[in-house]
Amino acid sequence: MAAGAPAGGLAELFVEERRSSSFRLEDSRVEDVASGYDLGAGVRVISGERASYAYTNLLAPEALLEAAAAARAGLAGGDQDAPLDLRRVEPSAVHPVGLPPSEVGAGDKAAALVAADEAARAAGGDVRQVVASYADVHQRVLVATSEGLIASDDRTRVRFAVQVVAARNGEIATGFEAPGHSGGFELLERQPAAELGSKAAAKALRMLDAKPSPAGEFPVVLAPGSGGVLIHEACGHGLEADALVKEASVYANRAGERFGSDSVTIVDDGSDAGAWGSFGVDDEGTPAQRTVLFERGVLTGHLSDVRSAKKIGHPPTGNGRRQSYAHHPIVRMSNTYLLPGPDDPQEILSSVRRGVYAATFAGGEVNPATGNFVFGMAEAYMIENGVITHPIKGATLIGNGPQVLGTIDAVATDFDRKEGVCGKDGQAAPVTNGMATVLLGKMTVGGTEA
Amino acid sequence: MSSRTDDRSKEDSGALLALASEIAGRASKDEAIEAFVTHEREFYVKVYEGEVESLSSAQPRGAGVRAIVGGRAGFAYSTDLSTEGIEAVVAQARDNATYATPDEAVAVAERAESEPAPIPGLFDDEQPEVGPDDKVTFALTLERATRAADKRVRTVEEAVYGDSEADVAIAVSTGIAGSYRRSDAWCYSVAIAEDDGDTEIGFEFDLGRGLGSLDANEVARQAAARAVGVLGASKIPSARMPVVFDPYTAGQFLGVLGSALTAEAVQKGRSLFAGRLGEAVASGNLSLIDDGRAEGAPGSAPWDAEGVATQRTGVITKGVLTSYLYDTASARREGRPSTGNAARAGFKSAPGPAPSNMTFDTTGEGRDEVLRRAGRALLVQDFHGVHSGANSVTGDFSVGVTGFLLEDGAPVRPVKEVTIAAPMLEILKGIEAVAVDRRWLPFGGSFGGATTLISEMTVAGL
Repeated sequence: MAAGAPAGGLAELFVEERRSSSFRLEDSRVEDVASGYDLGAGVRVISGERASYAYTNLLAPEALLEAAAAARAGLAGGDQDAPLDLRRVEPSAVHPVGLPPSEVGAGDKAAALVAADEAARAAGGDVRQVVASYADVHQRVLVATSEGLIASDDRTRVRFAVQVVAARNGEIATGFEAPGHSGGFELLERQPAAELGSKAAAKALRMLDAKPSPAGEFPVVLAPGSGGVLIHEACGHGLEADALVKEASVYANRAGERFGSDSVTIVDDGSDAGAWGSFGVDDEGTPAQRTVLFERGVLTGHLSDVRSAKKIGHPPTGNGRRQSYAHHPIVRMSNTYLLPGPDDPQEILSSVRRGVYAATFAGGEVNPATGNFVFGMAEAYMIENGVITHPIKGATLIGNGPQVLGTIDAVATDFDRKEGVCGKDGQAAPVTNGMATVLLGKMTVGGTEA
Repeated sequence: MSSRTDDRSKEDSGALLALASEIAGRASKDEAIEAFVTHEREFYVKVYEGEVESLSSAQPRGAGVRAIVGGRAGFAYSTDLSTEGIEAVVAQARDNATYATPDEAVAVAERAESEPAPIPGLFDDEQPEVGPDDKVTFALTLERATRAADKRVRTVEEAVYGDSEADVAIAVSTGIAGSYRRSDAWCYSVAIAEDDGDTEIGFEFDLGRGLGSLDANEVARQAAARAVGVLGASKIPSARMPVVFDPYTAGQFLGVLGSALTAEAVQKGRSLFAGRLGEAVASGNLSLIDDGRAEGAPGSAPWDAEGVATQRTGVITKGVLTSYLYDTASARREGRPSTGNAARAGFKSAPGPAPSNMTFDTTGEGRDEVLRRAGRALLVQDFHGVHSGANSVTGDFSVGVTGFLLEDGAPVRPVKEVTIAAPMLEILKGIEAVAVDRRWLPFGGSFGGATTLISEMTVAGL
């Protein structure tokens, strides 16, 4: 390869072409209609512990050579001009595209927004605002390295989001639905826009009656799907190998240790067919795979890219991802799931005398070094004598990753997925979180009622 | 400064403005076109254990184009700036416009009578002369100094230096044609401290127009101090008590407020400040300013993202809500001028309203004076979960915190794993003092935070 790897090092070329379109509706008007075209390449040179990256959006050969020279200039060391035996890596999973977005008229995409808006507003006069958005991306990538690897991937993703704001007597509440997948416009055949609008409106209207959340220690029941963000934030990030090798993770050097009961099995699976966080090969050309992180409560795995895998002496797990050609790859999750267990969701609820039912999290944050996390609840309810009573607002969940695994007292059968966008080192990546109904024995809940 | 660099950069600015003007000039009779073209030079280096862990350099450029026909706006961007590429991006923007719902308020900015004055010091002329070696050395020094700052610092998770020099050109078919150059440099360090089985993390940063204005030793000292200071932290009992935001957390709180203070958020019913213009929304000694020309602030530029001159706007004046922040469309909706608050994330995004540099006016006290006045209080060093626990539509604010319990204004023990909560309007009404120690935070915008005393919030712990 022209980039020229330093002796004993690695040179890598990443080429990306991306076509995107997006539509946004607010105030019952289609407002932002946008499309983008990107073509660019990044060159990475790795020598020992060091890596240098340069990128360009001029895809002329001279510009690529200049980027390669810039990347190599970041490192000292000689050249290596051995001939290469290119080895093609095939994607491990195919994510079928039923209706390619490029073959769907822009009018149909805009019509979906209008359908969501109309359905949400039909839910009642307390609905004050509806924001709906549609986005599709078609991304083709090519990876080639001085070690002879060559791989390509063709990814299509579609996401649709509806946010509803409701107001009554000075109280304001919001409801949100945002499904997505690796696939085409058929997403909206499986989950019609009107249904999503109705669901988001119903949530907002329910939350209008919310009372302030109590503060203190309670049992917490996590609803299927949304609760998975807790696993993503509190366990997944700490098992990314870049944090492990720096011992900046609470899980460092603890493989084989028990953290939870037999019902706790957690996997990351970039090959899950059609899931939002899936791909065929990652952005370093490693095939997507399923990695078991916790097996029946015991820490067994981690997630890595090429660099961190080398440092810990394991093969890479196919978790090297980048936002675009303008970003160097870093260790990322894909689809992270707490696998379903044996329990009945209704029995879990019935077992709680006084607690909190967390239906939807608004997102969360974790400190990987300590495992401490905080999550806001967008939709939550009080549980009293085994029954959901009234909605509560302003509730947050606070705790510690390794400890929370130990407080998982029951895992139900009703597994579900929720799609999101994870931010790390300034890069965004599509990820899925998944879990069934889960009982956490005792957690700190933050609220306004002391 | 060498004349070579000077000539090259002048060429870049001129060529970029010519390109933007050429795109805007493609507007047909009943159409308006706005072109936003940038060419950046970026550098980033991260070091770990005395070695360069990653280094990146690039010169990205591209154009974002908005076409508006009869109140319908379409946007497209491209990194292909060849004649065919320009042709394609303009055609795509026009096509996109046909799918938008017409809105009389949607329009490009009109040309003003005079051009805005340049902002002094927006570009550091020394910065182009700083070589990659100096930048790498700076990052290595930052890491070494963080490690050396305290023996309990076990490792430095990240030590980073980054910079960018950007040429920005904006041209609109109404006759606006403006360009400017700016430089930014920043660094941060993340210290991990360990003692007696406890591990804590400390983050500190610095920013300026060039490497020469960054202080590696001070960043290192503070990153270490912020990690070491909270070693051994624990919960405190739940209570209602005074809370003090340090400059860092005060800046993050402003970030949450900022998204609710654009006129668009108000017009569209997603702001806790809707319908409150002219009302007392904060304590009588509190004023909130947005200033797109603040010297040394990260969000400053002579032109906003639509080509309107930036300005200083009083948002809250002595406790009373006096103005929202307007871009062209939200201003036209109310028949008033824009406040120059159109922003964009780069050429890949269409303009939208946002604060420029937003900050509370100080009430004049020093930090120590504010802490003494707080008495027994919770001093908040870090928020956790702000993006999920703070809601600028409903006004709910409930976040996890790390910090210190103060007795008579002095820290007596570190605190973690507690949450603080209060409705945002109650927080604003409870602000008793804003100290003089303001610093600009470049996270999600540009917000000037200072040590801020709030009379009472709910603290949830044990």
